[in-house]
This record gives sequence, structure tokens and C-alpha cells, in this order.
Amino acid sequence: MTLLAFALLLLAAVIGYLVNWRAARAIREGGQRLHSLMGFHGLFSLLMILVPVLTVLLLWLGFEGPVINRMILASLPAGELEGLGSGAIQLISAEIRSIAGGRIFGTPEDWKLDAADRLIALRTWSDILLVVVVVILSLGILLFSRSRVTADFRARQASESIVKGLMIACSVVAIFTTVGIIFALVFEAYRFFQIVPFTEFLFGTNWEPQIPIREDQIAAEGAFGWLPVIIGTLVISFVAMFIATPVGLLSAIYLNEFAPKTVRAVVKPVLEILSGVPTVVYGFFAILVVAPALRGTGADLGIDISSNTALAAGGVMGIMLIPFISSFADDALSAVPRSLRDGSLALGATRGETMRKVLFPAAIPGIVGGVLLAVSRAIGETMIVVMAAGLMARMTINPLDSVTTVTVQIVTLLIGDTAFDNPKTLAAFALGLMLFVITLGINVLALRIVRKYREIYD
Amino acid sequence: MADITDRVDPPRKTSLTQSSAAVARRKRADLILQGFGLGAILVAFTVLFILIASLVTTGFSAFVQTHVTLDVYVDPDEISEEQLPRGGFQDVLTDAMLANLPNADPEDDVRAVRAILSNGAQFALRDMVADDPSLIGQTVTMTVPASDPFDQLNKGNVDRATPEGQRRVNDREIEWFDTLDEAGMITTPLNFGLITNADSRFPELAGLRGALVGSFYALLTCFLIAFPVGIGAAIYLEEFAPKNRVSDFIEVNINNLAAVPSVVFGLLALAVFLNWFGLPRSAPFVGGLTLALMTMPTIIIATRAALKAVPPSIREAALGVGASKQQVVFGHVLPLAMPGILTGTIIGLAQALGETAPLLLIGMNAFITSAPSSPFEPATALPTQIYIWADSPERGFVSRTSAAILVLLGFLVTMNAIAIYLRNKFERQW
Amino acid sequence: MYDMKVTEQHVDDLQIKMKAREVDVFYGDTHAIQKVDVDILDKTVTAFIGPSGCGKSTFLRCLNRMNDTIDVARVAGDITLDGEDIYDKRVDPVQLRAKVGMVFQKPNPFPKSIYENVAYGPKIHGLARNKAELDEIVETSLRRAALWDEAKDRLDQPGTGLSGGQQQRLCIARAVATNPEVLLMDEPCSALDPIATAQVEELIDELRTRFSVVIVTHSMQQAARVSQKTAFFHLGELVEYDDTSKIFTNPDDPRTESYITGRIG
Repeated sequence: MTLLAFALLLLAAVIGYLVNWRAARAIREGGQRLHSLMGFHGLFSLLMILVPVLTVLLLWLGFEGPVINRMILASLPAGELEGLGSGAIQLISAEIRSIAGGRIFGTPEDWKLDAADRLIALRTWSDILLVVVVVILSLGILLFSRSRVTADFRARQASESIVKGLMIACSVVAIFTTVGIIFALVFEAYRFFQIVPFTEFLFGTNWEPQIPIREDQIAAEGAFGWLPVIIGTLVISFVAMFIATPVGLLSAIYLNEFAPKTVRAVVKPVLEILSGVPTVVYGFFAILVVAPALRGTGADLGIDISSNTALAAGGVMGIMLIPFISSFADDALSAVPRSLRDGSLALGATRGETMRKVLFPAAIPGIVGGVLLAVSRAIGETMIVVMAAGLMARMTINPLDSVTTVTVQIVTLLIGDTAFDNPKTLAAFALGLMLFVITLGINVLALRIVRKYREIYD
Repeated sequence: MADITDRVDPPRKTSLTQSSAAVARRKRADLILQGFGLGAILVAFTVLFILIASLVTTGFSAFVQTHVTLDVYVDPDEISEEQLPRGGFQDVLTDAMLANLPNADPEDDVRAVRAILSNGAQFALRDMVADDPSLIGQTVTMTVPASDPFDQLNKGNVDRATPEGQRRVNDREIEWFDTLDEAGMITTPLNFGLITNADSRFPELAGLRGALVGSFYALLTCFLIAFPVGIGAAIYLEEFAPKNRVSDFIEVNINNLAAVPSVVFGLLALAVFLNWFGLPRSAPFVGGLTLALMTMPTIIIATRAALKAVPPSIREAALGVGASKQQVVFGHVLPLAMPGILTGTIIGLAQALGETAPLLLIGMNAFITSAPSSPFEPATALPTQIYIWADSPERGFVSRTSAAILVLLGFLVTMNAIAIYLRNKFERQW
Repeated sequence: MYDMKVTEQHVDDLQIKMKAREVDVFYGDTHAIQKVDVDILDKTVTAFIGPSGCGKSTFLRCLNRMNDTIDVARVAGDITLDGEDIYDKRVDPVQLRAKVGMVFQKPNPFPKSIYENVAYGPKIHGLARNKAELDEIVETSLRRAALWDEAKDRLDQPGTGLSGGQQQRLCIARAVATNPEVLLMDEPCSALDPIATAQVEELIDELRTRFSVVIVTHSMQQAARVSQKTAFFHLGELVEYDDTSKIFTNPDDPRTESYITGRIG
């Protein structure tokens, strides 16, 4: 039925185009001079139909599920939902949906079967209603558009303003994404902070999100102090930057100043390959090669290295960041005007001296911006740490130990059951909010530095 | 201009070719810096080499699969047409195996002998019989996958010198396997199952079909949304937007969005798409939606760069003959910028193809044994499949993971190669 | 300073500082300079004039091997400094450039303090044994560049904060600080206003007492004002090279005359 609605809409749009085009042609053949080309009259009708009806259609599909769900829950016999948490209510509506889909497990109560029947009926009605609405709207707009076709009608301006409106809507999607992120994180984190006080989260040194799900379950009381988690994140990020910064900067310096053209032509693509490798691959590399190698070396030296040591995750993350820093530094160095380089060389400086004393210092702001962006990436990087870092939160800054990170906790808390009334799930959003705030702060700072730097030499 | 102090310049009549200690020291410092730079690049190269080498050496063996070729007597006592689902396919296969292993005990060793074949063998036989019921009572020759331990044994991943207790196959099992091998029943053909099978708990049966289809649907959704919206936004911002605080804000916003950690997009998708809008869990459509939001900034930035690269003279020429601004942009500027836009889009899609974290949060790491038939059915994607397999304890999954990574990298290299080709082919100097 | 006064000077008694013979320069496939012979005299200002794109800057950059920094550039022929071939394999361009300094068309102070800009050359060449000596070199150089009075109170401020004319004088001070024997100037006044130009021209005349100065200029008036010898380049060829007074009053080649009188250019 949904497909039918889309097909009808498309058909109406095409018909609208043809109707207006022919009407315009008729006017022209009648000897009058049109203000706009015939094609624009057609386009006007097409856009007038397509844009609003498609919006209605998509909104309908988006809200159909939640609205029907509400209606079903509201129609349940009084008392059935009394005293149940939102997780249990979600379970019931999921069960009703699966019964409606023909998958019946066990013997559900009669009121659930009734609800499933009502669900099927509502869905059918919704589908029929959708098609009717689409047809009526399309026809109405089609007739309206047709009525606008006159010799003087500025069809080009009219359709151009619709197109412009569409483009503005596209630009606003980016803002909506940001707003959506902030709203989702703040909303769920707010619910979390109603259960766990903000100060306890911010200053607590104990992170044990394994809370009992049922009253009688024997488990540790959950603890939600994020300090060990963020410290673990910082330890791994530090290890990563410790490797990526020198290697990335030195390779950029070599590529920018010393490398013969042929070397540059080979090295640049290889670095690009390195930066195009998905992080899940780096994660597997960490557990397959790096962690066992580190453990082996540690055993040879008599040092006990944990199997998911921060060194393995951080080291591999550092490798991932090398091309990022290198290409950023290379760009920053290239942005230094050639005249400065010439000036230094003309004074009898060697290439190395020119690099160390003139080019590099001049490029520092751009390089710092790049390094900051790399730090933000390290903090937000997920797959490498999910696969290679630990799960237990420890208050330690020893990189040989196993530590956990903010992103690891977010993923482990949300894989599996995701009932939205449980502090365990909500804690992930609180961590997500902190992650977003931290990385956003670093990014804004870094982008501002880089922008300022570009302005100097532009 | 009169106050030039007369400092007596020290006479410096040195020859150009005569090298001083100071100059030598400065040159050494230069060489050291160069050496460090070269060393840094070597580090990057070495790591890349180790990465590829380790993936190839572990993943290579998953591209072939050990098979056992058997003559199976489809015993009418065990299998009947009416009761096909309850047929004793397992027993029939075991009997066929025992027939070839004279030194195995038909009573005590049944379990062990049965374990040589993959668990999928019985279903393969069942499907054959279901297709052609006349096979009942006849002897059919069929080639079925061997189970993981014997696959590893055949590929040399089991060291026969290690003590029996530390091996996954004991001495008798090795003896049986060698007997079969000598009888010419063991073959190691190309493993098409890696591409054509969906996921399975048994490494020898597990394949990437579900993940490939899931990734395809997700990328398709991502492209269909991110490409038009991204281009629309970029055209507006670059060509039409007034330069004011609003468009400045949008621009800053897009740049920041490009740097938001991917896991945060996963949280957004979980809270908004799954929880508020009630979209289905694990569906490639939702994954594609999420990836579209992440890819959009990349496409917008690439499109704007491509539009910027079209010289103003083209716009002025078209405007000069009376075209409207939109006619100029859609008729002249956009087509000229298209190669650059496509390059940026392909690179963005390649990133989206490798993206894992947001897909984990919307449940695309589920264990699903069939390929999805629409973007709304539960599925995995290539990177999440890699994550699932990397997490599985069976030895066979290690090589499968590497093989899956090689497949993923193959796609990425192809996409990037297309992007580079486009860039080089259509790159023009204005 | 603004009339067409031609500086009279007897140059016969001065020794030859640099000598170029049969110099060719190629940029990739382009033959930028063809068979140029020039003698640069000591303690003299030599001007290279000619229409834009005639190769005068390219030739200037050969004199301290700045063309080495351009990948596609190739130089053939002999150029000597005090009788030594500067393109000899054993010659280190670094040492050559310490003796043959250069000032560029656009002022290019380093993004460092005024003091550090001037001290840069002496520091890398180890010309000063201690801070006091370095201070002295900086002061002398700034005085020679006629910038001392304006800059002495703001030595620690960035050189990029100066005005255009001051920046160019800072670059001259920076070049002078390494105590070169020859100073090459590539259109040093083209980015400056008339007052700053006058200051720099006055400065060039002062510098002549210590160094040999080679200046590329597109302004004939400037060449006439500051130089004693003038070389006229056209389409990559050296058309005529003689005393400035001769070039501007009685040139041998009709092309030179056309250029001087403004018929080509």
C-alpha cells in the first residue's frame, strides 16, 4: 500500500507536468507571448505536487507506528497496564506486534489477541487513509497549479523559489542533526541524572554499571562514577598521541621539504590507504597481532602485561592517527608562503634549518589545530577500544594495565537489552553527552585555530 | 642616512669549496632530521605491511574450504518421503563415513566420526532429497564441508607434534582423516560459501551473504538520502546563501558535525530513530539513515570545494546572456563540478561502508542466518560481521574474520580507485 | 632623487666580482635564458632592466643558485664568484648564499620579532660569539638598512607588524646582517609606495660602499637613479650591457633604444 501511495504521487507529478506544459503550449499557439518557457510551467506543477505531498507521506510513515502504538495501548482493558514499568509496557506492545505479524509464541492472553486484531485493522485503515489523502492532495494541487497557467504567470520565478526553499531545507538538515544529537543526549542524560546525582557521576571514582534488573537478584549495587572511565580514555589517547604525533610530524616534514617527487608520489597514497582502513580492521589487528606481541615481549622482559593493555589499543590507535596528523601537518607546512622559504634559503640557511627555524614555527598554529583534532578523534574512537581495551573500569594511569574508555562503556551498555527506563542504559547517554561536550569543545577550538591560521596567509 | 656606524667587518675570504667544521655540523643536523623523517615514514610503511601480511596469512586459508566427498546410501528405513523433516540424515551420513573407516568402531565412535563432517552436511542431503525424492533408496555421491577442527587440520593449522591433550583433534581422529585423505575423499576447493552463505554458528558454514546484502541496502539508503540533500545544502550555501551569521553558523555547524565521534551518531539513532519513531531494530534502512547523517558533511564539504573550483568567468558568461542564477548553477556550474562531487561522494560512501560503531548501537550485530530481503529486515553489515566473527572463539572464525576484512578492504580499494580515476580523468586546470 | 640623473662613476678601476659566461636556463622545456655574458663589478650597483618576462629575475636567481629550489629549473654555462665556479659540484649552495644575499620583490619577514629576523642569518652562520656581539650585528644591520631609529624601541615585536616599506628595509637588514659580498635585489620596490621607494633607493646607494649590488627593476627611472652599470634583457637574451649613462643616452642596440624611449615594454 505504501508503494502504491508513492507510485500514485509520482504519477500525479508527471501528469501535472504534462497538463501544465500542454496548457502553456496552447496559450502560445493561441498567439500570446508567454512570460516563462513551457517547461517551467510544467516544472511548477511538478514541484507543487511533489514537495508537499511527499512531505505529508514521509511524516505519515514516520508517525504511523508510534501513533498506532499509543492507540493500541490506550484501548487495552483497564487495569492490565497498571503498575507496570515502561520496559514491561514496551515488551507487551512488542508481543502484540509480533502476534499481529503472525508469530505467536506460547498462549497469549485473549486481550492481547484482541489488541493484535485491532492493530491489524488500524494498520489497514491507516494504509487506505494514506492512499486517499495522497490522491486527494495531489489532485487538488494539480487543479490549482493548472489554474495558474496564464501568459503572464511567472512560472520560472515560482518554481525557482520552490527549489530555493528545498535547498534551504537541505542546509537546515545539518542543524537539525546537531539539534537532534544535543536533544537526544540531554533528554536521556537528564533522566539518568534524576536517578544518579550529577555530582556522584562527575566525581565518583567507582564505575560498576551492573545493577540488579529484578528486585531479588543478587548483584552488586551499581556505581556510576565516571572518573575511572575518563581516565582510561585519557591514558589510551595519550599513548596514541605519543606515537602518532612524532611519527606524523616527522613524516610530514620529510614529505614537505626533503622527499624527492617520486618518493612523495608513492608515500602519499600509502598514507591515504592507511587512513582509509576502517577502525574495525585496526581493532582486529590489535587483538590478532599487537596485543599478543606486546604480551610476548613483556613476558620475555619479565613484565606482566595485561592481555588487553592500554598499550595495544593506544598503540594501534596511534597508527591510525599517523596519516591524519601527517596530512594535516603537510597541508599546514604547504600553506606557509614560498617567499618565507626563499627568504631563509637566500640567507644561506640549509633546508633543515629553514624547516626547523622558519617553516615549522610559522606552521605551528595549523599543526596544533590538526593535533587537537587528532586528540578529539582518539577520545571518540570506538571500535579499536571496544575490541582491544578492557571492560573493567580502574583508577590507574599505568598503560600496561587494562583500562576501559567512555566509548567502550557506551557500546557495552547498549549492546543487548535497551530498555529506556534503566539507569544502565541511560548511563550510556550520560557518557555520550560528556563525550560530545568534550570532543565538541576540542573541535571548536581546533577549527578556530586552523581558520585563524589560514586567514594569516591567505 | 648619515648614521651608519663603521663596524670593521672581519675579513672572510674563504673559498666556496672549502668546508668548515661549522658547515659540516649544520649539514649533519640536516641529515639527522631527514633520517628521522625517513624513519617515521618507514614506521608507517612497516605497520601497513605487517597489517596486510597478517591479514593475508591468516585470511588466505578461508578462501578455500576442506570438503569430504562421500558415497551416501539414502536408506529408505531412515528417510521416507512422507516424513522428510524427521528423516535420519545424520545417521545415513555417519554410516557412509563408517563404511570408509574400517578401524572405527560402529558403536562407540559414532559421535566422533559424525563430527568430521560439518553440521551443515545433513541439511545439504535433506535439500537434495527434497528436490528429488527418487534418490531415496539409491546411492548418491556428494561433497560436503568438513567441520572446523578438520578443516584446520587439513590446512596445517594443527601441529601434529603437540601433545594430544592440547590438540582439538586426537590421534585417532587424525588417523581417520588421513585414511580419508589417502582414499582421495578430501578436497580443498575454492570456498564460494564465504560469499554465498549467510552467517552461521559453524565457522565452516559461515559466509558473508547477509552482511554484503545488509551493507548494500544500508549504503543505498545512505546514498539516496545523503547525495541529494548534501548537494542541495552545498549549492545553497556556496551559491545562494547571503553571507550572514546564519550561514556562518550553518557552516561552522557542518564542520563540527564532520568531527563528531561516530558513536554519538549511534546514540542519536538509538534514541530518535528506534526509541521515538519506533523504526525496526537491526534494519539496514535505519543503518543507512544514520550513515547518511554522518556522510552528509563530507559530501557538503566536497561539493562546495568542487563548486568553488568552477571559475567565476563561466557564471558571468552565462549570466551575461540573461540566464537566471539557478539556470546558471544547474545548467553550467553543477555539471562542471560533478566529477569533484562524485569523487567526494564515493570517498564519503567508502567511509560509511567501514563505519561500525553506530551500527552496533542500532543492533546490526545480531546473529542472523539469512540474508535480508528488504532494507527493513534485520541484517548485519560487513564491518559488524567482522566484529561478530572477531568475537567468536572458534579457531575457524579467525581466518574468516581476516578473509572478511580482505573482502571489505577490496571494496574500499575499488571505491577509492574509482574516485581517484574520476579525479584524474576529469581534473582540469582552469 | 626623482629626476633622470645618471650617476657618474668611473668603474674601470673596480675589480670583477662575479662573471657569467654563456649562461642558459631551462624551465622544463622552456628556454628561459639564452647565452648570457655579464660581469658584475665590486662595489657597484648593476641594474637588470627589460620588459616583464624577459628573464632578468631568472638570471638573478642563478647568481646565488636560488633556481636550485625549483625542481624543473636547469642551469648551464659558467658563473664564477671571485674566480670560483659557483656551480662546481663541490660548492655548497648554503655557503654560496651566505656570500651572495638576496632581497625579494615582496617583503617576506619571518613571523618572528624584528630582532630575531635580523639575527637569523648571523645565528645560523655562527657570526656572533655571544649575545653582545649579536646585539651589535643587529644594531649595525638595522642602521645600515636605515630602520634603527624606527625599530629600536620595538625590537621584540613581530616583523610582520611593520609597514610595507619598513618590512622591506627589515629584509634588507636581514640580508646585510650575514655580511654578504654581493646583494641581489629582485624588484625590491615594486610593492612599495613612492616614499618608501625613495628610502630604499637611498639605502641602495649607501650599500654600494660595501657590497656589490645587483638590482632587477622594471622601472627605467629607478635603474637610472641607482645604478652605475645596466644590462638590458629582452626575450631571454642579454641585448646590451654597459655603463648606465651610456645605455640611457646612447644605446648601441635599436631594441634598447625602443625600450628606453617607451616603444616596447
